[in-house]
Order: sequence, then C-alpha cells, then structure tokens
Amino acid sequence: MKRKLLSILIASAMVLPLLSACNVSTDDGTNKKTTKEQENVDDGGKDTDSGNAVNITWAFWDDLEASSDLMTQCYADTVDRFNETYKDKYHLNVVTTNLEEYDSKVNALVAAGQTPDILTCNPGPNADVYVESDTVQPLNQYLDADPEWKDSFAGGMFDRVTYGDDIYGIPTNFAAACCFYNTELFEKAGIDEVPATWEGFLEACEQLEKAGITPITNSASTAWCLSMIASYCMNRNGVDTDALNEGEMHWTDERCKQGAEDLKTLSQHFQPTFLGDSNDDATAHFYNEEAAMLVQGSWVIAQMNGNSDTIEDKCGVFSFPTHDGSVGDMIVKTDNLLLSATTENPEACIAFTKMMTDETAQKATAEIAGKIPVTTVDIDLEKAPKQLGYVMDLLENLEGTIGFYNESLASVEAGDVFDNNMVSIVMEDSTIDEGLQEVEDFYAENVWK
Amino acid sequence: MDKLLRDKKAIAFFVLPAGILFTLVLFLPILYALYISLCDWNALTSPVFIGFQNFVDLFTKDKIFKIALKNSIFFMVFSLITQQIAGLLLAVVLSNLKHGRNTYKNIFYLPCVLSSAALGLLFSFLLKPNMGLNQLLAVFGIEGKNWLMDVQGFIPLTMWVIGIVALWIYVGTTMMLYMAGIAGIDNTLFEAAHIDGANKRQTFFHVTLPLLKPMMKTTISLTCIGSLKFFDLVYNMTQGGPNNKTHTLATWLYFQGFSYFKYGYASAISVVLLIMSLAVTLIVNRTINTRDFAA
Repeated sequence: MKRKLLSILIASAMVLPLLSACNVSTDDGTNKKTTKEQENVDDGGKDTDSGNAVNITWAFWDDLEASSDLMTQCYADTVDRFNETYKDKYHLNVVTTNLEEYDSKVNALVAAGQTPDILTCNPGPNADVYVESDTVQPLNQYLDADPEWKDSFAGGMFDRVTYGDDIYGIPTNFAAACCFYNTELFEKAGIDEVPATWEGFLEACEQLEKAGITPITNSASTAWCLSMIASYCMNRNGVDTDALNEGEMHWTDERCKQGAEDLKTLSQHFQPTFLGDSNDDATAHFYNEEAAMLVQGSWVIAQMNGNSDTIEDKCGVFSFPTHDGSVGDMIVKTDNLLLSATTENPEACIAFTKMMTDETAQKATAEIAGKIPVTTVDIDLEKAPKQLGYVMDLLENLEGTIGFYNESLASVEAGDVFDNNMVSIVMEDSTIDEGLQEVEDFYAENVWK
Repeated sequence: MDKLLRDKKAIAFFVLPAGILFTLVLFLPILYALYISLCDWNALTSPVFIGFQNFVDLFTKDKIFKIALKNSIFFMVFSLITQQIAGLLLAVVLSNLKHGRNTYKNIFYLPCVLSSAALGLLFSFLLKPNMGLNQLLAVFGIEGKNWLMDVQGFIPLTMWVIGIVALWIYVGTTMMLYMAGIAGIDNTLFEAAHIDGANKRQTFFHVTLPLLKPMMKTTISLTCIGSLKFFDLVYNMTQGGPNNKTHTLATWLYFQGFSYFKYGYASAISVVLLIMSLAVTLIVNRTINTRDFAA
C-alpha cells in the first residue's frame, strides 16, 4: 500500500508541473496581462502597470527604453501620453526587437496566430502578404468615421498602403533617401558646390581622396544599405522596377548592367572597412566626421543628431546625382501602423494611431526627430534639426518618387536576392554579368513563371 | 523495488508522463513537419499538398541549399576532428594534473555555460574590420583580414573562423565527457600497465584510448548532431551572408520560413536535416564497436 501511495505521489509530482504550465484562466479578458503581453517585459518593451485597462500590443523595431534614436524617443513619449490619457481605459504594451530581427519576429508571431494588435510595417512585400492573408484589416471605416483625421494627412500618403479601394495602413512619418555631406570636409577638400551630375559626384570623391578624406561611408554587411545606392544607380540609368516585376524588362538589360557598373565604380570611394561595417558603423563614420558623405534615408537625422552634438551644424543634404544633371527621382517610404484583423480592441488601436498622428506627435516627429511629418501640421523649422529643412527643400523640387528596392521588388526574397548580389558584385565575388544573371534566374523561376 | 520494476503496469505508469510529453513536443511536431514538407504553405492560408515538389526544388534548383549543405557538412567534419582531438588532449592533460585541475576545468568549460548567441554577437564585434583582433594585429604591423566577409574559395575563410569560435565554445563539453570517462577507468589497469613497463604514451594508446571508446561514441554523436543543427553562431555572426555564402541548413531553413513565409519549403529542409542527423547517429553506432570494452 505504501509503495502504491509512493508511486502515485512520484507520478503526480512529475505530471503536476506539466499541468501547471497550462494556464486555465477565468479572466474576462479585460484586466490581466496575457502571456504575450508578459513577453514584452522580457523583450525590453515599454510596459507599465495597466490596472483595469484594456491591454493592446504594438510591435516596433527599436527599444523604446534604451535607444538613442530621437524618433524612438518621441514614440516612447507618445506611448506614455497614450497610457496616461487613457488611464484605466486602454493600456498599450510594446513588443520591441532590433530592426534586423523585426520582420522575422513579427512573421513568427503572425504565423503562430499571435499577431500584435498594431504592427509597424513598411509598404511592400511584407505588407502585401499580411493584406492578402487577411492578417490585417482595412481601415476605411475608421478614417471615414473621422473626416477631420483623414483630411489631416498630406496628399498621397496612403498611396502605397492602399489595396484596391481599401486603406490598410496609417503612416506615421515619411522618409527620403538623400546624400548627407559634411560641409567642413567638403571645404577642406576645396569643393565649393555639391555635385549635381554623376561625373561631378565622382570628381568630388576623387578630390576628397586627394585631400586624405574618405569620400563615402557605406555598409555591405547590412546589405540594404549598399542596396540603397544600388537602387539609385539603377534608377539613374533608367531601370524601372515595375517593368522588371512585370517581366517587361530583364535584369540582363544594358541599363541594369550600367547601374551595377556605376555602383562598382562608386564603391571604390567607400571607406576601406565598408565590407565588414554594419549600418550603425557606417553611420557613425559620418557623424564622427571620418567620412564626407553618407547616402541614407532621412531617418538617419534622428540617429546622427542623437549621437553627435556637432554634426547638425556641419551637415548638408543633396539629391543623389543624375547623369544629365536633372533632379531625378527620390527614394521615399513611410512607416505605417497596421491593425490586426483579429484584434479584440480596435477602438483602442485606433485611439493610439490617432495619437501617433496628432499635432503633438507630428510636430515632435519634425521638430525633435527631424523626420518628415505625414500630416499637414505647421512645423517650426527653427526648432527642427537643420537637416530636415534641407530635405524638405529637396522634396519641393522633386520630379518623381520610387520605393526602396527591397520593398519594391516582387517579394521579400526578390529584394534579398537583389541586395545580396549587389554585395557580391561590389566585393568581386561575382562579375556584374554573373550577379545580374542570378537575379534574372530568380525572377524567371519565381516571379515571371 | 525489483518487484515494482517487474510490474509492467507500474513501468507503463512511470513511463506514461514522459511518453505523453515526448509525443506532444517531439513526435507530433515531427510528423506535422513531415506533412508540411509535402505542402506549399505560407502559414497564413491553408496548406496545399504538392507531393515531393519541395524536395525536388531543394536538390535541383536551390543553389543556396547546396551551399548550406556543404557548410553544414564542413562544420560537422571540422568540429568532429578538432573537438575530438582538442577535447581528448585537454582531458588527458587535466586528468594528470595534480594541482589546479578544477580551476582549468572551469576555465575551459566556461564558454559552454554562456549563451552561444551572446558569444556570437561578441565575436562579431571582435572580428569587425577596425576592432578587436585587427587592432591587436595592427600593433604588430599585421594587416588583419576581413574575417566575416571573406567568401573566396570552396570553404571560405569566414566558415573557418566560425568553426574555430565554435571549437572554443564547445570543446569544454567534449573535455568534460572524456574526463568523466578517464575518471571511470579502474586505476589497477594503469598500475598493471606501469608494472608491465608501459610508458605514458603506450599506456594512453593501449589502455586509456580503448577504454574511452564508449565515451568516444557518445561525444562523436553529440558533436555531429550538434554541428549539423548549427544555427546561433552563424546567425549572429554573419546571418548567412555575404550573398548567402555562409548559410547552414538551419539558418537557410530559418530564412525560408520566417523571412519568406515558405514554411513548406523550410519544413522540407528540416526533414533533410532530420534524416542527416539520424543517418549520422546510425553510422556512428554501427562503426564504433564498444562491446569488447563496455564491461
């Protein structure tokens, strides 16, 4: 009898811990954190005591507590403001990760049926997948219900998040890829005017090198950084991503080859360590004044000013040059908030998206972070970082816009294939013909079939 | 207790919890992955059965899969050779130390208890072009290589570098297992060898090594399977780049699933990985005969 009792006790001791992991809840869903929400704390997300409030989650690609990025700090302020304004009603928890891991993490959450209530997403293939699979919901009803809010957005802001007649994303800021340059280093090299043509751009690089200055800082280790310049090189030679995606143009076309050739030529003027440098390393070379130029999205203003007290006064901005000296297209993108189709608290989510796009948040976006607001808010350019004014001047004279290549090509994988082969060409692991043939083969196999 | 162990119901009763747990967290997911590997599935819509198409694509069209396969096999062979030799040598040397054995044992084992993901990040910093190792080399006038971006050759330098980092991390495990094996050898055998006039080298090759065969079988199996599954170091040091030249099967699987939403295809890679792991285990079990020495 004793033995039987002992064996039952031992078996129970083995089984009970298993059962204890199965959280049987009698909660009405309004006042306790879910396991998912608890993860936010572990992830370094912004999480405070929510009391009896309805909890919602927002997935974002930077650490709101630790980041020195001024835009992220503005977002952190908005989260605090939201939680304070809606105290006892709504509470927002933030699922954070670093940028490189972000898409994979969100994709894993989506695949596991744990889609965050709100997710940050750039336009392009990832958003396409979420829309096509009904992972996220159209937002027309919420926008139509509040015409004042809808009309506050600048023209064209919804273009890249509209599918058919449905709007799926609320933009929070707008960015353009530009050439940032150090005016002091340009002066030191004897360059009086920023280059407007491709030839002038190469001459400026040579002049900087002669003065012992690294002309351009870039990262091949973070492939999309190099890809941004590759995209401009392709565009300046007449490559059209829509035509490529539709099969009306081929990657083996002479224009693509010339674009890759230009990229390779320009890479001769990158810092010697560009192959191993990350995006952050490359940006640091610029704000530490070790390189004269940085080709980056305007989001970098917040990063460089957040890390250097001196760069703002020395930083100028110009458009990536064209062969004929025209203004040319500019690579642009918006950061957007998408709403999960399965969220149980759409009102809370909409309240947060409205707060992210209200006057306070948008003024902070411009005046503190130096990013371009998405609404028609009046901003005080005196308060804003100087670089923002320069970028906005460039946008006023804009001829046309294109998307980032890793967001404009046929799929996420297509974007990666392009990025990787541009790196391969620049590091001479493959020739221009071989690299472009790889992209062509991928398209033939996966896109044009 | 003997009576209890002869009672089949009692055995079943004790085995059942573990059996249920294994079925739920191991066998069922494996079976599900087998099914998904035969489907075109993006995890957001219903899977579409496509037979063996994913496997056909893997072996006929996917160039990166072949690179990943080559790299995984390289890691397995490299880890097998280096960890066995270094682990055994360390174990023999430390077992014969009279003073400081535990201190050295802890030092060599320390990397094993640290997170390999964190170590991967640490080494990715140390091996950056203008940091860590290259700065140290520059002091001696040596120009360091681009350790994590060199992809020239059949096995690129970057793969050797990751292999060496893996050796540094995991050699402690092999060492500990061999030390346990050596500690289990009866001292009278060494005394008998000494009386018979055997020197240290002869004792090692004719007494220690043969008696370590069962442990060798274990360490070889663990090293091979561990190397085939290699993920965290590669992911944190290179993310499979540049241009996918440093992918292993596990990292390529991860990208296919979590970046490209190709869960069916990723499952097919996981099935290949499973078959390779089982094959290696089988080969090791069949080729290393321990019957003569187990007693």
